[in-house]
Amino acid sequence: MIAGYHPLVKQVLDGERSLADLPAHLRTEGEEAVRLVQAADRAPVTLSAAVEQRVMAAVRGHAASPSRRAWHWLHAPREVQLRLRVRPWVVWGGALAAAAALAILLTRPAPSRVTQVASRDSVFVRFVLYAPGARRVAVAGTFNQWDRSAAPLVPAGTSGVWTTTLALPVGQHQYAFVVDGERWVADPGAPAVDDGFGRRNSLVAVTAHGTRAL
Amino acid sequence: MGLEAEASDADVVRAVLGGDVERYAVLVRRYRDRYARYAARMLGSRDIAEDAVQDALVRAFDRLADCRDPTKFAGWLFLILRNRCFAERRRRRRERPLTPVDDGLAGPDRPDGAYDQLERQRALEQSLQHLTAEQREVFVLKHVEGMAYEEIAQVTGATVASLKMRMHRAYDRLRDLMRGHQ
Repeated sequence: MIAGYHPLVKQVLDGERSLADLPAHLRTEGEEAVRLVQAADRAPVTLSAAVEQRVMAAVRGHAASPSRRAWHWLHAPREVQLRLRVRPWVVWGGALAAAAALAILLTRPAPSRVTQVASRDSVFVRFVLYAPGARRVAVAGTFNQWDRSAAPLVPAGTSGVWTTTLALPVGQHQYAFVVDGERWVADPGAPAVDDGFGRRNSLVAVTAHGTRAL
Repeated sequence: MGLEAEASDADVVRAVLGGDVERYAVLVRRYRDRYARYAARMLGSRDIAEDAVQDALVRAFDRLADCRDPTKFAGWLFLILRNRCFAERRRRRRERPLTPVDDGLAGPDRPDGAYDQLERQRALEQSLQHLTAEQREVFVLKHVEGMAYEEIAQVTGATVASLKMRMHRAYDRLRDLMRGHQ
């Protein structure tokens, strides 16, 4: 085992100092170190064109599998047109009901998610995040292809509480809140898993009867 | 071709998620060679690197719905390839312990003077195999890919201070391994 490089020589290798800046007694060691680093092979590497054929063959096979098609069916966003013909008293009644619901919401502590069955295939899931000072909050997840602008939350007055309700298909979903368009925040009221890249995704399991703790 | 070049990663990802599987070939062509050198230097073999890049591209397709930000597909794919390279190195270390750095190469003090840049390159390549995966990676990203510490920190998630520490330990280890080859 021989001694390591002098710290000043390491600064040369890091590009923070030039070889000429080294004291005379370190010059030889510096030149040796630079020769070592310059021996690195920087030639470009080109892979065979067959890589594309093999990847696409595998991808087509995976895309055609029944489980993948079912997963895609669950995930794919759909455009739905609703046509409503309402009388004025319905509008006023609805507005009053919404105001009453909001008043109830603000007068009691709410769990992070409240659910209600929307149909046989999807369930309303309410997402709540306490984020005082946030300028905007959204929820992104596997149900909207992690689109950070698809599902904005609405502030409940100036309380710092942000909420939204989404109809989610039955199944297990991963999600996270996006604060101010860039900061990803896991739901403090839900279990979370590592996404494999050092971040935490929250989990919600949607059944035909509501959400289920995981 | 023009349309392919103009389409952003995010556009292609959304099209693939929307069911247009064939559009994935655009991303395969775009990134096949871009990360090949990183994989080859990490794994010490072009053939193994080819397998790693291929697997990473297939795995990225399988997990495309988990790609939080399609505009950052390149970085996300790199992380998948990086995990694949680290796993491959662990597997190979278990199955085939490293051999000592070849001492049969001519040294600079040899009378035949046959030692040249190519042989030093080969000795360095062998020496890199003896570093930890993390040390080797920071060496490859800095001295092969030419990235700054700040850029490496962004793609790996490590701090600049810890990257420098890894790199400095790698310099010392390489000096020891390369003795006789300088």
